[in-house]
Amino acid sequence: MSDYRFDRLKVLVVDDNVHMRKLVTTILQAFGVVQILEAENGERAWSLLRESNPDVIILDWVMEGMSGVELIRMIRTNPQAPNPFVPVIMLTGHTSLEHVRQARDAGVNEFIAKPVSVKTMMSRLVSVIEHPRPYVRTASFFGPCRRRRNANEYHGPERRSETPKQAAE
Amino acid sequence: MARKHPIELFMPPNMLKAKVGGGAGGPDMAAIKRAEDAMEALKSEFNNWIAEDVKKLIATRARYSATPDSETRASLLRTAHDIKGQAPTYNYPLIARVAASLSRMIGELPSTTGIPLHLIDAHVNAIQVIHKNKMQDTNDKTAQALCVELDARVDEVLAAVSAK
Repeated sequence: MSDYRFDRLKVLVVDDNVHMRKLVTTILQAFGVVQILEAENGERAWSLLRESNPDVIILDWVMEGMSGVELIRMIRTNPQAPNPFVPVIMLTGHTSLEHVRQARDAGVNEFIAKPVSVKTMMSRLVSVIEHPRPYVRTASFFGPCRRRRNANEYHGPERRSETPKQAAE
Repeated sequence: MARKHPIELFMPPNMLKAKVGGGAGGPDMAAIKRAEDAMEALKSEFNNWIAEDVKKLIATRARYSATPDSETRASLLRTAHDIKGQAPTYNYPLIARVAASLSRMIGELPSTTGIPLHLIDAHVNAIQVIHKNKMQDTNDKTAQALCVELDARVDEVLAAVSAK
């Protein structure tokens, strides 16, 4: 049995769908999370983020206005972000490899494919607590390393360079 | 060969672990049980939620039909995409499947190509029928045939555009 003090966590839930926010907050409350902030769009989330500096963000991808991916880029790279390392768990109905790559390149830590399940939510929370990933900073990228193992051993080209030619150099 | 740009790799301090503890590192089974019970209690609201989502889809479809621009198109796509993701939770997997087909069509058609209204209507009507008749069994033969037909029509539209 684990003895996580989820009551000490402050979680920001960002989703433009009120039902999905209710679903996620219900699960988090049952886990014991007390401090849950809700935002219905990326702009409101950015404002709450700067005011409250949450420990974890659970974020929908597809939203009106600023998308989840755009918000993550701001969190990782905007100097006004209170914590560029904050773990971001992305909720998404997108499951194609291309979408996963796009979100990883923006700086997502973990994914939850919809429909949301209790066990997956717990698993992703435990993952960001127990298995944080190293961070990478290059000329064109800042965010969690996509490799889960042996990140220090990589000696290949800089694959997130701005142009394919540069990446191949 | 030396890299053109340096790559900095570092491990930030694990503040989250310091905050919440948890020696064993596995899932908290008691918390999972509490959350599953809470989800069970929430199920009584799911019928209202899916009804609201279907109503929203009908409204966004009407807006797109009246003014087919990038804004109404994006709104229709978001609504279909939301239903695709959420309907299984509400125990309407067939609605999710039809919404996935609608999302695929809107998402994959080039933004300069109008979306065939008759095919939007076919999807929206199918979702209404499935909801109205509370068709929650994925083995329902009529619903399965309908889904296959919609998939085929969407394939045709996408193939016609890519052949141009």
